Amino acid sequence: MINTLFGSNNLDTAWAFLASLAIGLAFGFFLERAGFGSSRKLASVFYFKDMTVIKVMFTAVLTAMIGLFSLRALGLIRLDQVYLLETNLVPQIAGGLIFGIGFVIGGWCPGTAAAGITSGKIDALVFMLGAVAGSALFNEVFRWVKPFYEMGGRGVLFVFDSLGISASAFVLLFCVTGVLMFWLCEYVERRLSRTGIYWNTLFLKSFSLAVLTGAVAFVAVSAGSAPAAGTPMTIDPASESTLLESIDQAQDHIEPEELAERILSGEKDLTLVDVRPYGEFAQFHLRGALNVPLKDLHQSLAPYRNVGKIVLYSNGMTHPAQARDSLYRMSFRNVYILTDGLDGFIQKCLTPTSLRREPLSTSMAAKVVAWRAYFLSPPGQSQSTPSADLLQPVMLDTDWLNSNLDKPGLKIIDLRSQPEYNTSHIPGSLALSPENIRMNRQAVGSMLQPVDMLAKHASSMGILPSDTVVLVYGEKPHDATLFAVALERLGHTKYGILNGGFTKWLNEKCPVTADLPVVTETDYPPSETLDTFTVDYKTVLQHLQNKSAIILDVRPSDYFNGKKSDEARSGHIPGAINRPYTEDLQKLGEAAMFKAAADLQKSYASIIPNKDSRVIVHCRTGHQASQTFFILNKLLGYRNVLWYDAGWSQWSALKDMPAETSPNPKP
Amino acid sequence: MNPYLAGVGLGLTLLASFLILGAGLGASAGIARISACMELCIARSHTLASEYFGKWGDAPLRYYLVFMLAGIFLGSLLSALLANRITFSVERGRKCTVRKRIILAFAGGLLVGFASRMANGCTSGQALTGSALMLTGSFLFMLSLFLGGYLTAWFVRRQWND
Repeated sequence: MINTLFGSNNLDTAWAFLASLAIGLAFGFFLERAGFGSSRKLASVFYFKDMTVIKVMFTAVLTAMIGLFSLRALGLIRLDQVYLLETNLVPQIAGGLIFGIGFVIGGWCPGTAAAGITSGKIDALVFMLGAVAGSALFNEVFRWVKPFYEMGGRGVLFVFDSLGISASAFVLLFCVTGVLMFWLCEYVERRLSRTGIYWNTLFLKSFSLAVLTGAVAFVAVSAGSAPAAGTPMTIDPASESTLLESIDQAQDHIEPEELAERILSGEKDLTLVDVRPYGEFAQFHLRGALNVPLKDLHQSLAPYRNVGKIVLYSNGMTHPAQARDSLYRMSFRNVYILTDGLDGFIQKCLTPTSLRREPLSTSMAAKVVAWRAYFLSPPGQSQSTPSADLLQPVMLDTDWLNSNLDKPGLKIIDLRSQPEYNTSHIPGSLALSPENIRMNRQAVGSMLQPVDMLAKHASSMGILPSDTVVLVYGEKPHDATLFAVALERLGHTKYGILNGGFTKWLNEKCPVTADLPVVTETDYPPSETLDTFTVDYKTVLQHLQNKSAIILDVRPSDYFNGKKSDEARSGHIPGAINRPYTEDLQKLGEAAMFKAAADLQKSYASIIPNKDSRVIVHCRTGHQASQTFFILNKLLGYRNVLWYDAGWSQWSALKDMPAETSPNPKP
Repeated sequence: MNPYLAGVGLGLTLLASFLILGAGLGASAGIARISACMELCIARSHTLASEYFGKWGDAPLRYYLVFMLAGIFLGSLLSALLANRITFSVERGRKCTVRKRIILAFAGGLLVGFASRMANGCTSGQALTGSALMLTGSFLFMLSLFLGGYLTAWFVRRQWND
């Protein structure tokens, strides 16, 4: 089995660079040999004068295609060892058209231009400079191209799947087409330019025969092995019956209680895998679980093959069971599925004693308390946090809130304006203006209040540390996230945001009232130690100088670029990346909604290398940035997100702070 | 060289690239990296803050396809030297002025550089590599490329024709 540099994640090593140089050497050699150091020769394919381009390209493609896929059919290489480009219909078709136009106008393509330069062609050098400029142009206008850049995205898509035929059938079809093309090219050259020197020669006949033989050989090899997609394997009846036997004896299951016991006892080599979609995983998962999409299961779990126990779970049992069978065939013998999935686990292990129909033994009740404390509190938090009475995700939908309205321990905070609240609000909700939790600190006008003041707000609204707090916004989701940051500062982690806010609630005809609820004041304990995420300009400067953090500026682009400004200086912190907070939102009718967690995950994965990367988010006054903070920290699980509350309003006023500025625009 | 044998040579090179690197051939990415490097020299913080080049960091040349591009230069130089094919010239049709050819070469390069970024690859990375991997998008790229070329050919025929 061949392991490639890409497959072993070593494409950025010195060896890979050396290998690339050697491969480039052969590539350049054959390009020049083919006569591609001449733009007239390249361009003449478009005038049917010299068809070399087509002959060479077809031959090269079918040689590599037959070669690679034969080796794969023989089980010598797996396709996961090769980087497969994703299909994005719109940019690939549009890019192809523009490329073709540029090709015939310029007479070169990137690789051949290099061959042209070394052959002394000055036009090739000019073309290459044009291509450098074209790349830079793309970078400069990327912001406008971006909406199209991944449009028509289909992931990795094989052409035989698109056509609904087998890989073998496609290779055969492609090779026959290739041979026909060769003869057609020779014929056209013969008729139009009196060249076509290979027409009807013994060489072309033998070559055509060789191509077709290669294709047939490939079909024969693949017929003896795997089905079209996936990894080649043979189904072994003996192994299948062992598999069925293990299922029959229920050796493939693990009961929720047993799993909980094993996890709590700190068992090593237990790999818990959540195979649900990322969005569901982000909302709630069993502590310590990995999230692996089904299609990546073989690859991702390879390091755990036959090491300890792998336990798969989903909501129910079907998907994990099928996944387990597939893994079994890939010679994993240590995979178990969680009986009744996550739902079963919640029911058996996490339902509080008070809500159960059947009484529990004392020892069992004690276990449930311990399990709840472990699985329902995020890692790093103290284990003694009072357990939640609601298992709640971070992003709440209207149905969830509507069916949980009467639950004790639920506090709803409405962040709309006071007249809006007084006209109608969700029954039991309390009004709070986001401006009430901000104040002037160190001459910056709109800083989030210190923890003792926030604790007073919480107390006067009757919030207990054990409560589940639901935040409801009007038009601006960042009103809710600002209070979410306040809760984080208080160390209160059990909260969620009603996605779509009051607008969606109203649109879905959920109950509203104008009655004011009855509040019993509480004494919310302030704790100074919990806020480790708010940073001041000194910390930002330090990370900027050490290049030890990614700085995300979430203001609208015009402010980032300095086209607009409300502050001392216009522009941004050097090196900051602009990710306007509005890009994380979408409209559903009138309601402002957060985009799906999976989409957000995808967007941020392209900006932030991994979940442990240090990220500083800021905007002008901290308000908009609270939304990005919430998304990264709470929704997507980035572990090292910092919030520069004072933001650009402070930074721009401190003349010593470095800034990428532009002249202040006229007001 | 016989174009079919040159094609087989290219195909085997591509196959070697798949088996050793685990990735196919590429030329435009190397050019884009050089472009990013030049932009970094001119406007460092602007480039680092930009969304596309910015993600390549402050050492965009540390990338395998940059080395491959260097290899292409060396390999083609070797071949041209062996065949004694190095002549300094501006290649064009008889009726085309040098000035016009240079302008068109630059314009063509600009379009190709842009389009390669748009499509995430060029004739090497998409048309050759992607097609050999039987990827739908790469085939569509190749078909669109020839469509674009044949539709435009008539307008620039005087550049090439004698």
